[in-house]
Amino acid sequence: MSSPDELARDTPPPYKRRRTGDTPSSRSSSPDVLAGDPHDFLPPRRLSQRGGGLSKSPSKPPQYLDDFSRSQSLSRPLSESVRRSRSASSSGSRTRSQSPVHSTRSPTRSPRSRPRSQSPTSSNQSRSESFSPEPQQPTPTPPREPLKPNYKARLALHGHTKAVSQVRISPNGRFIASASADATVKIWDAATGAHMDTLVGHMAGVSCVAWTPDSNTLASGSDDKAIRLWDRVTGRPKTTARKSAGQEMAPLRGHHNYIHCLAFSPKGNILASGSYDEAVFLWDVRAGRLMRSLPAHSDPVAGIDFCCDGTLVVSCSTDGLIRVWDTSTGQCLRTLVHEDNPAVSNVCFSPNGRFVLAFNLDNCIRLWDYVSGSVKKTYQGHRNEKFSIGGCFAILHGEAFVASASEDGDVILWDVKNKEVLQRVQGHKGVCFWVDVHGETMVTAGQDGSIRVYRHIGPSTEVNGDGMRSHSKTPNQGVLQGELPIRQDDVRLEEALS
Amino acid sequence: MNLLLSDDYLLQDYPESMTSTIRSGHATMLRFNRKGDYLASGRVDGTVVIWDLETMGVARKMRGHNKSITFLSWSKCGRYLLSTCQGWKAILWDLETGHRHREVRFRAPAYMAELHPWNHNIFVASLFEEQPLLVDISEPVDVKRVLPSAPKRSNTENDAALKEKQAKEDAKQMTTSAIWTATGDHIIAGTSKGKLNIIDAKTLEIIYSEKICTGVITTMRITGSGRDLLVNSQDRIIRTFRIPNLSVEDLDPDTIQLPLEHKFQDVVNKLSWNHVTFSATGEYVAASTYNNHELYVWERNHGSLVCMLKDPKEEQGVIEWHPSRPLLAACGLETGRIYIWSVISPQKWSALAPDFAEVEENVEYMEREDEFDIYAQEEIHRRRLDAEDEDVDVLATDPTKEEDGLDNFRMPILFNLGESDSEDEFVAVSTGTMRRRSPGESQADLSAGAESSAPVRKKGGARGGGRSKKK
Repeated sequence: MSSPDELARDTPPPYKRRRTGDTPSSRSSSPDVLAGDPHDFLPPRRLSQRGGGLSKSPSKPPQYLDDFSRSQSLSRPLSESVRRSRSASSSGSRTRSQSPVHSTRSPTRSPRSRPRSQSPTSSNQSRSESFSPEPQQPTPTPPREPLKPNYKARLALHGHTKAVSQVRISPNGRFIASASADATVKIWDAATGAHMDTLVGHMAGVSCVAWTPDSNTLASGSDDKAIRLWDRVTGRPKTTARKSAGQEMAPLRGHHNYIHCLAFSPKGNILASGSYDEAVFLWDVRAGRLMRSLPAHSDPVAGIDFCCDGTLVVSCSTDGLIRVWDTSTGQCLRTLVHEDNPAVSNVCFSPNGRFVLAFNLDNCIRLWDYVSGSVKKTYQGHRNEKFSIGGCFAILHGEAFVASASEDGDVILWDVKNKEVLQRVQGHKGVCFWVDVHGETMVTAGQDGSIRVYRHIGPSTEVNGDGMRSHSKTPNQGVLQGELPIRQDDVRLEEALS
Repeated sequence: MNLLLSDDYLLQDYPESMTSTIRSGHATMLRFNRKGDYLASGRVDGTVVIWDLETMGVARKMRGHNKSITFLSWSKCGRYLLSTCQGWKAILWDLETGHRHREVRFRAPAYMAELHPWNHNIFVASLFEEQPLLVDISEPVDVKRVLPSAPKRSNTENDAALKEKQAKEDAKQMTTSAIWTATGDHIIAGTSKGKLNIIDAKTLEIIYSEKICTGVITTMRITGSGRDLLVNSQDRIIRTFRIPNLSVEDLDPDTIQLPLEHKFQDVVNKLSWNHVTFSATGEYVAASTYNNHELYVWERNHGSLVCMLKDPKEEQGVIEWHPSRPLLAACGLETGRIYIWSVISPQKWSALAPDFAEVEENVEYMEREDEFDIYAQEEIHRRRLDAEDEDVDVLATDPTKEEDGLDNFRMPILFNLGESDSEDEFVAVSTGTMRRRSPGESQADLSAGAESSAPVRKKGGARGGGRSKKK
């Protein structure tokens, strides 16, 4: 009788929650919000340039990419692409959202282009103004605390042709790796934003990347069920260390479904992977051998992390469970579940390994004490209902913050102790999937296919007062302008603000 | 971190069952590093193999010796490894690069060479039919200083006949084992005549000597704390001694005493012991038996035998106890496999479901007064948030773990040392099917010529029982 209603109700809850761009109304609404947003700092020429850059891209001819995306969307029927949150999101939604974005944006952007051409001082003012009329910001900038994160947009990296599902800064802080639904992984210089390498080899969208602790190797996990190890220096698949040199290491195969999350142990000898086949695998990285498979969850494994001494692995799933495993024995030591049982889309350990930060799909991030099994803090203020959204702990001058992406495209930073929102950084149009922080550098990945780099600007430059501001900014600007000539055809860096 | 969650401390603290077997060539010597995450094994063909205990895989292989490895010694930081072989030389390996850091040649095969506990540029070597050496390799040209083996004599009379007799005796005294005390100020040396000498590392003089047994002293070990000494000798008795504090300011050599604590022996079978080791804390003593398959484990409080480990049908040579865990590694004399015994902690089922608790017996459940009261969802949520007023520290680490800071050496990860490297007798053909590796099958090894272990492997494979438990 009422067949459409029935169908709608029949959709399983986790899928429903994680659905990508389900209704056209919700999709078209988000660009509107962004377009009306005065803080959208993108210069107007970006979109036009982007189109040109794509067709010019030498490494990946557009013909191939189109073919590829088509084949991918064909290979994955609708039900599957709905289940898939991150990397599957783009193929359908991009074409739909792109044109309205362009049309609604360009008029609002034109007044913004004026301050850009002005002197640095005035552009600074316009920037500070742009943050004040923020409607959602709950904290009206309290009296200046000694340390408050103040990340300012610095670079926007373009090159991925589809949504960027994950972005990670290397442990030494020098490189950025980004995984995208366009089946490539890109490596960027964290300081200049220069594109260093594109790692091509996966047959389907890449959902996750992980750096080894020495920052020389990269692991990527894809929807083609394989995990590949890449040499950061050569930009090629990792080769054997033996006489038969030049022989490329075979990808790590064993999962029966999409790879969704990866983490290296602090020593770099073990790689943990979580997959849609609901298992967690521990790999011996040296031999490329499956060491242990943990029957972890009853839903796709959404997030995984190692604690700082490598003895514990935490995994989470949309079944609402967070499990803590002993690395050496493979036994489950603790299971954490919240009373409301919200799906958990990502987990990470605190820097000291005593707490677990869990990203729930009920717009909450919870800090668990896994020993007592209780929630210590709940962070709210971002939007996270359907996507597997990432975040991390940020450490700035010995102070820790919680950073998370949000489905409205922002990045939110909380105080760990009093749960207050310390900074809300405007970012992507569409969903911001991932944020990674390394000291003063923050990187975000978005559904719009771009990567944004932010830098913390310390209080010293701000306290100086208006007169000093222009002076203190000049070196920064100089650096940026100095780097700009590195631009490549398919990769544009943009001085995001001003 | 996992210690916060596990009840493993409730388990027994000595190994009870064999948990894995690993193999790379024919291992003759084993040594754990100080942190206990790596195990070095020396092979008959002179290769030194570093095992990662977390993955049970080969982390590094180092070639440089061409004779059987006799001894291995880790530096405190875990970056350097000293190996001696029957081929008259010792190599100090730098594990950062995997290349030899220094090579020292002797005039005889070396029984053993142990690195100074704090300084990886100094080591003491005991040689076959030669006087032991204190070697300093901090300079480009190594400095070798001969250590005395002759016991300290109290009489200083000029009796020519007696002196001659003593000199004859002294000439027969050969140091067979020499180790450092925990502070590195003194060297404890055991001789072929069963004498134990304590040598001052600065003056190179024997400050104390005592005859502790009748046979040759073959192995000496001290506990991590440096307070206990374990001596294995050929008179079939294992002895433990208390080491006096030798680092006091005004040490009078005449007051030093080395009290004997326990004698472990098998009086019934008259077994002799291949190799001995202390447990992590020194609470237990383990020994491998000559011409026998068992490992004996005694506990030191009462001196009683706690268990005999007898899984593989093979005589065991060198045995090593893990520096922190109840884990024992031994290498089989015949096949050269490395056997590892440990405790298996049972899965706690309540850990899988947080709303379940394991109870010993039935408990009558008392319902709380407000247990089934219904509140508005927002009210619950607000209460929860209000309750989160606890102070959390996500940065500060456990202060007891601070000591780890000094050895922050991290061994580089080599990729794809490969399945070829495990050198198992059995090769996985497909799921569930194994095939015996043919003797000539390529190991893809760098120096195939040095692969003298091939016939040994074949022999081991003929036994067939040792299908390695690969995880």
